[in-house]
Amino acid sequence: MISNLIKHPLEADCSRTLILGSTKIYSRTMARLGQLARTVFRSLKHQSSFTFQLQSRRSSFYFLNTYFTKPWNYSPNSRISFTSRSYSSLTEESQSPSTIDYRSVLPEEKYHMLANSTIHDLIEKLEEYGDSVEIDGFDVDYGNEVLTLKLGNLGTYVINKQTPNRQIWMSSPLSGPSKFDWDQNAQAWIYRRTKGNLIKVLVVRLGSKCPSLDL
Amino acid sequence: MLRHVTNRILGQALRVPATPNPAAVGGAGLPRMYHERVVDHYNHPRNVGSFEKNEEDVGTGLVGAPACGDVMKLQIKVDNGTGKIVDAVFKTFGCGSAIASSSVATEWVKGKQMEEVLNIKNTEIAKHLSLPPVKLHCSMLAEDAIKAAVKDYEAKRSKANGKH
Repeated sequence: MISNLIKHPLEADCSRTLILGSTKIYSRTMARLGQLARTVFRSLKHQSSFTFQLQSRRSSFYFLNTYFTKPWNYSPNSRISFTSRSYSSLTEESQSPSTIDYRSVLPEEKYHMLANSTIHDLIEKLEEYGDSVEIDGFDVDYGNEVLTLKLGNLGTYVINKQTPNRQIWMSSPLSGPSKFDWDQNAQAWIYRRTKGNLIKVLVVRLGSKCPSLDL
Repeated sequence: MLRHVTNRILGQALRVPATPNPAAVGGAGLPRMYHERVVDHYNHPRNVGSFEKNEEDVGTGLVGAPACGDVMKLQIKVDNGTGKIVDAVFKTFGCGSAIASSSVATEWVKGKQMEEVLNIKNTEIAKHLSLPPVKLHCSMLAEDAIKAAVKDYEAKRSKANGKH
């Protein structure tokens, strides 16, 4: 339970907590990854072309302060509003649709590890979800690193890796396309334009189909 | 099943606007077909070309990255007095859906006010072309290209006004 909260402090207050392979070893690895990433950011802080890294640096100070003072009853809303402030002040570039240098600090190996684990966890949870609900035409398919989730009449979701940009792309029948970047501080995949969290978006969407389900 | 397939193929050939439901097509194991509008834009693209980038009435939107497979350059020529887009051209590197999306975008912005075209949504483009889920990203890129072109033009204008 505690390791869940470490992984997803955003879900701490939600009644539906997404349990993603919550083993102690995993959370320790993620903590180590976080430390390593912070070291990388510090060493690269002079390269101002990486707006991704700039955002993380600013918000990482706040995160470090508050994370260690109150990790468990962290209010998700205040976190989101702060990061959106820092986002809007620093990321004029990432909000605009012009040509953006998408190269991220995230090394490719790390990206693959994070993206693969997220997607594989998703597949597991979705298959379990599919077994427990009665949605006509429900299907989860994974091939060539593309996850296709069919919800019958409710439409089809496609989730895939976009390695050159270090992103996970999702296509939703409701909200259209979204591109998620790995946010080191939130330890989650975030869509910069809406600050949406990949897992949260799916949880909300699928949860609305079956409110009693605890994803 | 065979008749259904034959009708679908003949329907496409006779230019009857058949809109294949991607879910159904995928489920039945049939190959996913491009909507006829996408094929049309691919075979007969509208408004391919480019304007001189440095002209003061030209706005250029360049979006995407070659690494992820799609680059779109969309240019608009604006009437300085009225703010109306008089002409638009595009050049796109990417899949058929991306080409069709940007082609549609140039068609739709022509003759409209700059503020108006900012309301063009990727969902409208995707619906018009019946894009499958995996190609919705192309329509979003087209929307971004329009916005980038308008933004570039406005930046040019404010720079020009600032000088005078």
